[in-house]
Amino acid sequence: MKKQLLKISFVCLAAIQIMACSKSETITTPVVTVSTKLVKDLIADTVLGLTANGMPYSAGKYTFYSLENNAIVPTTDSASAKWDLAFMSTRIITNGGTSGPALGGAFIYTGLFDDLKTIPADSIFKTDNAPTYAITSGSGRGWYTYDQLTSLITPLAGRVLVIRTASGKYAKLEITSYYKGGITLPVSASDVEKLTKQRYYNFKYTYQSNGSKVF
Amino acid sequence: MYSKFELCGSMCKKPLLLLFFIIPQYLWGQAWLVKDTLFASGDSVVVTATRSERKLSNLTVPVTLINAQTIQQTGSIRLTDILKEQTGLTMTSGFGAGVQLQGLNPDYTIILINGEPLVGRTAGVLDLNRIALGNIKKIEIVKGPSSSLYGSEAMAGVINIITDASNKIPLTASLRMGTYNTNDINVNNTLSSKTIMYQGFYNYYTTDGYSIRPNSNNRITTPINRLTTSQQFKWNLNSNASILLNTRLTDETIKSNIAVSNGGVTINSNGNEHNTDVNLSATLNYRFTPNLKTSFRSYLTNYISKQDLLTISGAPYNDLLNHLFKRVENQTDWALRKNINGIFGMGAVWEGVKSSRYDSEKLRKENAVQYGFTQLEWTASDKFIIIGGIRFDKNATYASAWSPKLSMLYKLNASHKIRLSIGQGFKAPDFRQLYLNFTNAAAGNYSVFGSAQAQKVIGQLSSLGQIGSLYNNYYLLKALQPESSTGMHLSWEWTPTSKTFISTQLFRNDITNLIEVQQVGTYKTGAQIFSYLNIGRAFTQGAELEFRQSLSNRITLSGGYQYLITGDKDQIAEIKAGKVYTRNASGISTRLTMSDYVGLPNVSKHKVQFKINYSNQKGVFANFRVIYRSKWAVNNTNGNEVYDNGDDFANSYYSLHSSLGKEYKNGITIQVGADNINNYIDAIHLPNLAGRTYFINLKYQLKNKP
Repeated sequence: MKKQLLKISFVCLAAIQIMACSKSETITTPVVTVSTKLVKDLIADTVLGLTANGMPYSAGKYTFYSLENNAIVPTTDSASAKWDLAFMSTRIITNGGTSGPALGGAFIYTGLFDDLKTIPADSIFKTDNAPTYAITSGSGRGWYTYDQLTSLITPLAGRVLVIRTASGKYAKLEITSYYKGGITLPVSASDVEKLTKQRYYNFKYTYQSNGSKVF
Repeated sequence: MYSKFELCGSMCKKPLLLLFFIIPQYLWGQAWLVKDTLFASGDSVVVTATRSERKLSNLTVPVTLINAQTIQQTGSIRLTDILKEQTGLTMTSGFGAGVQLQGLNPDYTIILINGEPLVGRTAGVLDLNRIALGNIKKIEIVKGPSSSLYGSEAMAGVINIITDASNKIPLTASLRMGTYNTNDINVNNTLSSKTIMYQGFYNYYTTDGYSIRPNSNNRITTPINRLTTSQQFKWNLNSNASILLNTRLTDETIKSNIAVSNGGVTINSNGNEHNTDVNLSATLNYRFTPNLKTSFRSYLTNYISKQDLLTISGAPYNDLLNHLFKRVENQTDWALRKNINGIFGMGAVWEGVKSSRYDSEKLRKENAVQYGFTQLEWTASDKFIIIGGIRFDKNATYASAWSPKLSMLYKLNASHKIRLSIGQGFKAPDFRQLYLNFTNAAAGNYSVFGSAQAQKVIGQLSSLGQIGSLYNNYYLLKALQPESSTGMHLSWEWTPTSKTFISTQLFRNDITNLIEVQQVGTYKTGAQIFSYLNIGRAFTQGAELEFRQSLSNRITLSGGYQYLITGDKDQIAEIKAGKVYTRNASGISTRLTMSDYVGLPNVSKHKVQFKINYSNQKGVFANFRVIYRSKWAVNNTNGNEVYDNGDDFANSYYSLHSSLGKEYKNGITIQVGADNINNYIDAIHLPNLAGRTYFINLKYQLKNKP
């Protein structure tokens, strides 16, 4: 039991990453293969303005991200295996299938992040096959709900995105907020605020670098 | 929750199956002996509870009685004003002011005027501001489906507004003026001979509306002009036969300035909304013997609502709803034995709705219901009365259904009474749930399709290549089943002295086959598509406590408290199984526990009202009232489909009201008052609660010379 606890404890890999981690999350163990990171305000095609008709417009570009390096990957590397996930408004794609050249895939696990200690053996990873994606889009179907009444997008509680990375390793990820600063806007916020502060991904993820399905 | 956007046209529920009948209290030559008092004492006569006149103290079901004097002394002019001060009743906003009774939505309460149902609901809500109070004798409220004899869809209860046909005052006129140019003029006149009685009522209400949203020109309530008139004729053909004719017309024009916000841009639409409500009824009463009497009644009502708006870009926006409802009915009252009274009746309802929110506004959607009912009342002893009743509805569209009810009264002694009632009701899907075909171009182009048409319409859209994806719910769409409910009420009434009244009531309502709006798919554009499915099982339960205490001849205290819990049984099962999650402050998911579960939205756990009333022999009256409502959930904001403590709530609030007046011997009454004295404002959740308002009311009654 203790061994397992150690195994799943949060670890930071490199010096830079240690700086990125808070102290409480860092417990050094002899086997340094699992690390948990917090990503804040990852911009995902934020709204640039409103058209004459009042519709929001944006650049329509993905933000590519490497879970292995915990860093943004330049758009010029979009055809490579350097990225694991890419974000554009509410859509999240994986580096595989119709979306990329690598081994990426994903499925959505219902449950708590901490409870997912081992990816179940019978799990089926889906790959992107546009217009269907491994991480299903649409309100209430994938990772979020959209409330027509309040115009707010809320990550569904108890959903863990289980990712197979570009290089075939595994990660689990929970989105905590879609809004800037990780602060879910109140219902009473203005429409302008709701538009300009959205598309900022805040998430927590655990990456297993040894290729196993155990976190 | 999405229904807020349906702006529903008709939608409108079907007050099918309603039936009900009132025998005017003077009809059989009996004198109306009961004097209205502030104490709705055991002597008051009530007609709603048993479909025939009964003394309040002999009723087997709990009835709340509001008399004309109470209405007048609180300065109430619309039905909403007085209902919000009643225990167990909460006013809702959105589609006008509706009433939530014991936690159940406005859809489940039937509103009757002299026993005849009003139609013309928007998204299930009947706007109670339509109803003027100037000619009202009393309002009777029966809670629970034990009242299913009025129509099985009255799953929450029945509110019956009884106008003052027995009024012998030749002329009453009043003028009330108030804040926001809210003015109200009433004229009431009567003429009577030995055989013919006539009462005419005219009311004109106008308001500029008000804006309580800071930094906004948008009015929460828009300017309204509303005319109501009703005419009642009664002709006593002989001592055993009478004819009764009632007409009522409400005509209102609401200046609309609708601001629809879409993606940060607000589009204004200007124009008028024009609503007309016509009610006509004719009744023939005949008494064969003192023990056998019958009445034939026919009723027609038509509600027409038109919106003619012009958006700022010049595009017209028109909306039409036309709801026609007809009914014929016969009821026979037969005293089979000295202690057994029987009621036997049957009738037929036909109704149709035309709406621009259906596939074609030219095609009328129709339904027909035939029904029969019976009720036996057995006065077993001075102490024990039991009533059993049953109703049978044969619906053209749905399976036939029986609605039984049983209620009893046990008088322990002169000061203690116990009542128990159990009843079943059902509510057939309304026209909106079946036929709506509405796309909200003003708010994201989402669509709502009635369940009878959803698959066909979506199929057509799909063949045009417009459908993005279909949800599992789409494949679950099938013919909607009626919602059904069982209600149980237990009450204990205690009158230790003539000056004190205490009553407690426990209630429980269980509803199955709840019809709810669900997303069934998306357009290619991502816009959502909704329809209606039978999915829910819900309950409401709680306790009510009411008291009245006279401190002296002049001062009376009264008050009420309601404790209410509600829940969705399927959700509770999921929570108990650990399958429902919520988010903590930092956005991390946790498992939801029952202690954080809130239940149904828009329901407050606690509601309190309290009143001090003063009146003296010289005609001076004054009152001071407090209404309190605890917080209620309004939006799901923390990433699950259930309402829990992490969601968006409206704050608890209280409001203070007072009025003061004097009635002079020459027939003149002067009254001043203030509402919402503490100026509580919540523009988002309580749009119908204006800030502090004042009024002055002048009334003149032409007295008959003795």
